Amino acid sequence: MTDERFAEKKVLLAPLDPVHDVGAKLIARALRERGHEVTLLQPDLSPEEVVSRARQVDPDFIMVSRTISYGTPELLARFADMCDAAGLRSSAKLVVGGMSIRKETAQELGFDAGFGPDTTPEEVADYVSGTFGLSTLASYEAVKPDLTRGYTYDFKDTEIGKLCLDIARGLIDWSAERTSPGIERARLRREIEEARLGGQVALASELRGRYSSLTGGDVRKWYETGESIPHTRPLSPEEAAAFDAMDDGVPAPLLSQKPLDSVNVIMQYGTGCPVMDAYHIRLSLAWGAKGAVHFDPSWGARTEGLAEGTFSHQHDGTVLTLENLRLIKRTVHPAALWQVRAHRGLNTPETVVLAHLAGADLTKVNIVYGSLGAGTDPTRLAVDGVECLRLAAEFGLPYDVVTNEELCGVPARKAFAGMLVVATAGALLGGRPILQPLFADSPEAMVSGFTEDNLVDFNAAKVLVLNGIIDAPIWPGAPVGFMTQTQDRCQSATMTALHAALGLRLGAEAVTIASSDEAYAGGPISAQARVDTLKSVAASLRFFGSSRIAPTARAEEMAADLRKGILETLTRVHERGDFVASLYEGLFGDREDGAYPGRAGRDTVTARR
Amino acid sequence: MRAKERILDACDIEAFFLCDDIEEGKRLGMALMGELGFSDVDVVFCEMAGPGARVRVRGYVNRPGSAYTWQREEGAVHDR
Repeated sequence: MTDERFAEKKVLLAPLDPVHDVGAKLIARALRERGHEVTLLQPDLSPEEVVSRARQVDPDFIMVSRTISYGTPELLARFADMCDAAGLRSSAKLVVGGMSIRKETAQELGFDAGFGPDTTPEEVADYVSGTFGLSTLASYEAVKPDLTRGYTYDFKDTEIGKLCLDIARGLIDWSAERTSPGIERARLRREIEEARLGGQVALASELRGRYSSLTGGDVRKWYETGESIPHTRPLSPEEAAAFDAMDDGVPAPLLSQKPLDSVNVIMQYGTGCPVMDAYHIRLSLAWGAKGAVHFDPSWGARTEGLAEGTFSHQHDGTVLTLENLRLIKRTVHPAALWQVRAHRGLNTPETVVLAHLAGADLTKVNIVYGSLGAGTDPTRLAVDGVECLRLAAEFGLPYDVVTNEELCGVPARKAFAGMLVVATAGALLGGRPILQPLFADSPEAMVSGFTEDNLVDFNAAKVLVLNGIIDAPIWPGAPVGFMTQTQDRCQSATMTALHAALGLRLGAEAVTIASSDEAYAGGPISAQARVDTLKSVAASLRFFGSSRIAPTARAEEMAADLRKGILETLTRVHERGDFVASLYEGLFGDREDGAYPGRAGRDTVTARR
Repeated sequence: MRAKERILDACDIEAFFLCDDIEEGKRLGMALMGELGFSDVDVVFCEMAGPGARVRVRGYVNRPGSAYTWQREEGAVHDR
């Protein structure tokens, strides 16, 4: 049986306008592509002439357009009356569209439908086909992207490769003899979960007791006395139930938002509340994001141990617990990427375990950034970080190695040297690292004048140099455009969008974006700020299409300088013969650069039994 | 449920105020939000040029972790 919705229709298209007919032409094309028979009239015909042609054509749809606004209601009302009088309404639907049209006005004037600004030709074609409201809201068959597929991690630059391999092997050997409370807790967390899953209640309780003895500060108080962790509270049953109301057990579909469908734009979230996070994730995925990055509170990184249960937090960052992550995971579409970060702090191995248990697709590891730019003791993070690399490999969890120490002022050449060593260690351990150069206006770039002329060259140089060193995926972040955004919504969204488009056009596997609220510190990021930014990214990708962005010759020079600086840094670290000592001694970034070895977790590393 | 209570988190309003300086622009923005019934308000952005200031003001209706207006029993937002 033929579906009436898809039957061929006769459509008369007429611009009731002195000159404007582009929209009508685009709609005519869309209709013809779907097999409809279209009669497109020229502009500047009178209503009488259009009605006369309609009587000849005997269409199923009479579609008129109007761009200019003066006299529009009177003209359209008269046209509708004439169609009535001519008996056309019994066999044809009367439709009006154009820049001056509002749906409500069209209905008041007697039209069957009205299409205003922002209508796409496809929407009009859907209306004719009887599928309007379906395709624009329809999900698309997205496949979860694998950002690491096809990469070999072979070094193309053998000189740099040899140094990275030597240093990384030294780091792995060094860490093999050491452990930390963070590593022990990660092991216990796995055992607790296994015991719970196996119904071994007594064992789980005993393991939990051992776990709590390895915690510190407010988390220890929470385990021992139940005292609330400052600025947090348990989610109420009503809040937890919100997840059931939201999804009925099924994640919201990914909505088609071309051209974002074909790229991987990842957005950050971490409002503090899992319920609010869920809405921010859902709206971001609906507006074209391909994934989400979980932001946890910075205090959590400075405290030994993680609590259990679902929590809301009054400040930035959503508390890391397995239960919070599992709740949030429910809102992430199966085809979307979800990253849980383990790049700094005292709970990194356990965070990788939680990421795995909660079903995350990616994590984040960087010993150098966490040590020099995020306050964690280098020895501690080196031991924990290598454990993270081991765990990520075991779980098949890819991870980015981020160079956000550039934001502290560390030159890219030193940050990249650190990133390459950690990525090499990860690859040696069987993992799938992703290089995450900062795509932003860093202190180094500003002081050195690298971004004085444009913001393309230095970022392009980073991609050029990394592509020349190793066959590994690149995922600029995090987020792109850092320090270029202001509190001006338009400026902020534009800068984010251009950085994102640059990264993707230069061949990056993905980009992480913030929102147009990035530079606003007065309160939480708003939902509309996320939408603004995704719309801007989509527009910039539409603008550039598949065209290439050509940096100036300076980018090549910068890339050459970067390579030289990376080589010098690695040579010094290699000569020092001690990766961790190199962190303390500033070889990957010193105090003058703005890098300070962290203190959280100092003197907590012990010999591995 | 009132429209304001259906705001997920915050309401942004942008306007160009005819004013003499940036501080007056900010004051007008804040006053506007007060007139509209917002209490948790802030100036997100204000830039003065020519005859006045381009101002973006924000009223938070639901901060993360608060008792969300759209989650209240009567007319709560479901299946959205």
